[in-house]
Formats: sequence, structure tokens, C-alpha cells
Amino acid sequence: MVAEQIAQIVTSMPEPLRALFAWIFSEAFVKAAIFPGALFSTVLGMFAVWYERKLLARVMLRVGPLHVGKVSGVLQLVADAIKFLAKELITPSGAIRPLFWTMPSAALILSLLLYAFLPFGAGWIIYPSEIGLLLFFAVLALSPVPILLAAYASGSKYPFIGLVRLALQLFGYEVPLFLALAGVVMMAGSFNIERIVEAQSVVPFVVPQVLGFLVFFIAALAESERVPFDIPTAESEIVFGWQTEYSGAHFVVIQLAAYEKTLALCILGALLYLGGWYGPPIPFLPETVTAPFWVVLKALILFTVMVLIRGAYPRLTIDRVLDLGWRYLIPMALINLLITGFLLYAVRTFAA
Amino acid sequence: MTATEGPLWFLWDPFILYVILVLLAPDVFYIVSRLIAPSRPSRVKRMAFESGQAPIRSALSSFPIEYFPYVIIYIAYAVVAVLVFFSLLAVLEVGVTPLTLMLLTVAAVVSVYAGTRLKVAGGKRG
Repeated sequence: MVAEQIAQIVTSMPEPLRALFAWIFSEAFVKAAIFPGALFSTVLGMFAVWYERKLLARVMLRVGPLHVGKVSGVLQLVADAIKFLAKELITPSGAIRPLFWTMPSAALILSLLLYAFLPFGAGWIIYPSEIGLLLFFAVLALSPVPILLAAYASGSKYPFIGLVRLALQLFGYEVPLFLALAGVVMMAGSFNIERIVEAQSVVPFVVPQVLGFLVFFIAALAESERVPFDIPTAESEIVFGWQTEYSGAHFVVIQLAAYEKTLALCILGALLYLGGWYGPPIPFLPETVTAPFWVVLKALILFTVMVLIRGAYPRLTIDRVLDLGWRYLIPMALINLLITGFLLYAVRTFAA
Repeated sequence: MTATEGPLWFLWDPFILYVILVLLAPDVFYIVSRLIAPSRPSRVKRMAFESGQAPIRSALSSFPIEYFPYVIIYIAYAVVAVLVFFSLLAVLEVGVTPLTLMLLTVAAVVSVYAGTRLKVAGGKRG
């Protein structure tokens, strides 16, 4: 009844307005601007910052954000963002100005672009592709570049030390990340993330690929520079590492980019290892709603583990970070690949 | 919809629309900041941060070299990654063959051996 009335109102509108309404309710607008797209990813990023501060406070027996906003300081993030945006933007005299000003934006753009390749349910994806996982990895592999350029463009000593640490860390963990993903691709027989999730309808891949999941999770922590691996920005030793010279709006953009990247990796982990949108059915809700719900819930569980790790562990020194990446994770990922190969071979020979 | 063929056809493609929105996202922050942030530059403010000291010499002067061996290992493992990628393509095409298993075994054994032999440059632990 209501829908009919709305349809009647829309059809009685003048032409440009009607086209606008048709566009707002079109699949393209809903996907790109609202659900897996812009609005969802930014709101999820802001929620993650608030959630992390709150949970971390609980770990440390503090209260965390409390006063801004009616419930548990939910609007603290908005207040902080406004405060940061009201700060003066300073370009250091030694900086390479064009790079210094554009690279934080480039980092945010690359982080947000990751969401175009993540499905949140059958058909809930912005850019469906047969090589979705490869495209995701390609954008992920590009994402350190703006950060390295931003650090270099600062023309200051602490960012430069952070730059060297960041380069060593990120390039050390990209190889194990790729090798861990290779195990999943091999088992599902596809680079399409939707196909990979469908292959887990019986058993999630975390069961046959425990090693691969461990490698993926640790490498994801390192790629997103979260706490045991935060030497590039180590506050207590090199001021704020590669971000030292960035203030105000630059800082907001850089932080948002970091959180979007972390969350994209959490969602990827939920999709590739935890069975994606498969979960117990919820009564009275259609599958188009429950599928994204399970994906986001599983991703938030992974994010919770990341926050708890941040609360419990101290920072690793650079020799230990490199040791872990090159001496443990890569052999572990290759052994996982070998186990996967033997499993598949056994299944094939027994089935034949 | 007829609008999908008009001059604004790209607004009806989810990916292109998302890319446009993503390109606009950082600009929102900078525009708001431009509107509400003060701008009173001074020489002292523009100095690079060196814990309150006046900056001494160029920032790009020193470069710790002790972890440089890892860069060389990166090149070696990049080749392994390419090998794994091509064997993946082969697996997707024809399934797991004994040859793939052999290649993977060699790669795993070599990486475990390298892991046990590799000594951290500058590390004080055994």
C-alpha cells in the first residue's frame, strides 16, 4: 500500500526529479553509496575506532570514552574528528609539498578501494569478478607505496626512520600473506571470492588450513601495523614514526585509511577462512539480510582478537619482526600449501 | 531504465560510481578543514620535528644497513612466490599432479632449511 503510494508520488513528479529518485533506488547507487560501499565502510571504520578504544579501556580496567553522546561516548569519534579538522595544517619546510599533501589521500583511496572486491553475500558485491582475490591482493600490495612516499616526502628524521622500518616490515609480510591466500585458492579451485565462500558451505577453511589461517592473521596484523607490529609508528621510541609530521586533517585521513585497511583484512579473513556468510539461519529474516550480518559479525570477532592482542602484548623489536616473517611464517605457509596439495591429491585419487 | 544509455551511464555502474565516491572521500576532510582551520604559518612552526631542537643537517643522511640482507632474501622469495602462483594456475587448470606436489615439497623443505640457517644481522640472540 505504502509502496504503491510512493510509486504514485514518484511517477507524478517532473522528469529530472523522477530520474533522480530512480537513480537513488537503483542497484548501482545502493551498492556504491550505501551498503558495501562508501557509507558502510566509513561508518564501520568509525565504529571500529570507538570499539577499539572502549574494549582496550576494559582490558586496562579503565572506562574509555564516556561523556560525548548519550550511550558510552559513541559520539567521541565525531568530536575528535571535528577537533582534528579544526587544527592548522603545517607543511614542514623540508617537505616535498605535492607528495606531502596528496599521499594521505592516496592511502585512504587505496584502502577504501579494497571494499569493491569483498562480497557480503551472494550478489552483495560492488565489482563481481572471476579474479576478485587477485584484484584485492593487487590493491593491497600497492597500499604501502603512498605510505612510503608520504614518509619520504616529510623531509624529517623520525619519519625517515619509520620509513625504513615500514619498508622492511611490509615487504617481509607480503610474501607469507600471498602464500597463505594461495592455499585457500588451491582448495577452493577459484580466485573468485564468492566461489571460495561457497566451497566452505560444509566445513570452513579454518579447519583444514589452521596453519594458513595463523599465517594470514599474523601477516594481516603486520600489514596493518597493529600493536605487536607497530615499530613503524612506535610512539615511545621514534615519536610517531612515519606519521610524525602529519597533523590535523592529514592525521584523520591517515588513521581512517589504516582502520579501513585493517577491517578489509578482517572481512577477507572472515570470508576466506571462517565460512563467510554461512551461519545458523535467523528466524523472520531473509537471507539477503542475514548473509551480510554473519560476514560483519565474523569480521568483528577477528577485529576483537586484534584489539585483545593489542591490549596484552608489547611491541616486537625489528629483528624479531623480521625473524618471524622470514624464518617462521614463510616456511609455515609453504608447509600449509604442501598439506593442502596432499589433501587435494588424496581426495582426487580416492574419488577416482 | 532508459537513463543507463544516456550521457550519465557511468552513474549506473556500481564500480565506477564507487570509485568516484572513493576519490571524493578524502576531499571532504580537506574541504571541511579548509573552512574551519586557522592558518598562521611561522618559521618555527614549519621546522621539522626533532624533539624541540632546531633540525640538524639533512633528514635523508643516515640509512641503517644492518637489515639489508633481508632485501636480498626478498628477491629470492619473490621468485618462490611466482613459482607458487604458476603452480596455482596449473592446479586450477588440471588439478593437483605429482609434479606439483614435488615442487611444493622442494619449496617447503628449502624454506625450512633456510629458516633454520638464517642468522639475524645485528641480532644479539642466538
